Amino acid sequence: MSILGKLLYITVLLLNAICIPSEDRFLARVGLAPATYQRGFGQDVDSSVKYKIIQLIASVRTVMRVPLIIINTLIIIYELILG
Amino acid sequence: MQRATYGRSPPLHHPVPQHVSTVPQLRSPPPPTSQPIAGYDGSPYPQQQPQPPLPGANMFGQYGNFINDPAAQLASQFGQTAFRQGQEYIEQNVNRFVNVSALKHYFVVTNSYVINKLFLVLFPWRHKPWTRRQAAGPSGQEAWYLPPRDDINSPDMYIPVMSLVTYIFLQALISGLKGQFQPELFGYIATTALVAVVVEILGLKLGCYLLSVSNESQLLDLVAYSGYKFVGVIVTISIAEIVNGGKGTGGWIGWTVFIYTFLANSLFLMRSLKYVLLPENNSDSRGPMQTMHPLDSRTKRNQRTQFLFFYAYIVQLFFMWILCRS
Repeated sequence: MSILGKLLYITVLLLNAICIPSEDRFLARVGLAPATYQRGFGQDVDSSVKYKIIQLIASVRTVMRVPLIIINTLIIIYELILG
Repeated sequence: MQRATYGRSPPLHHPVPQHVSTVPQLRSPPPPTSQPIAGYDGSPYPQQQPQPPLPGANMFGQYGNFINDPAAQLASQFGQTAFRQGQEYIEQNVNRFVNVSALKHYFVVTNSYVINKLFLVLFPWRHKPWTRRQAAGPSGQEAWYLPPRDDINSPDMYIPVMSLVTYIFLQALISGLKGQFQPELFGYIATTALVAVVVEILGLKLGCYLLSVSNESQLLDLVAYSGYKFVGVIVTISIAEIVNGGKGTGGWIGWTVFIYTFLANSLFLMRSLKYVLLPENNSDSRGPMQTMHPLDSRTKRNQRTQFLFFYAYIVQLFFMWILCRS
């Protein structure tokens, strides 16, 4: 497989790793769900790194959920036939 | 009209080329001539013989003033308009993705700048002022960075692009000297190098997002800075190949050169990226409504310094090792 194919697989797997974990059971327990974030006293609204990570995870989950289903299906079919 | 008083002057003509009719003969296959072979001088075409100007040789007499034709003028205007519109269309669509005028700023280099910058990338130890110089505008209000021609600390794109191309050719040359050259190697090496650059830029942008470094206009700076490591990589590969006699970039000399160029490149990046990631007037530029907590600001600065260190040393070590592998 060429290096671009590897890169595509890496990207898709990373996106899966962000999108698949359950929000209630996993992310809330680790503290990465947007509902469970509590701001510390005297902190800026959106300056802390953790808040940024939470925002990033939430937005990636929102945007990429439906496209990832399609991409995963295509890759699974490709791997079944040609892999 | 005022010259009519001097008498009957001949009518004025345009300068008409007299030898135009000889040009197609030169390009056509040699006609069967009955000339002796002695005049043959290696060219199958006949020599350009001075032909007497034919009396009716005014080829353009019929079409000489075709530019005055209204239909031709219309066509010319139409062509100009179409060309201009096409150019605008291209400019719009290119400018949507790449800011061309900002990109031109990075290619304003001179020979002395290139030599000094290469020296600076390889020997950054004694260089003293690392801040970029700014030129004040005519009103004194706005300030922009000087182009690389005037400022050695300014990033440019010329050295990264040229060293990237040189790196591709150098790797292909080395594998050719080993007798393993294939044409696909160019694509493979170029893909590896470009992927390294792109992944590095993405990681840097992610770090800037997480640390809330606002630098919309400095993406091209980051691209330029991430390309300077090819200089060290090229030096490492060539010295190691020469010393090791074409057996790869191993050996203690190869590793020493690699570590030296890696440290030089890292120091260069640390010093140069400081103004991108650690802006000094961060809290000053904000309004009084958004004054930051001093402790918060200090921790943020600490985080940014750690991120800069991580990027300049560990990430660069990884990518330079990837690129130096052969």
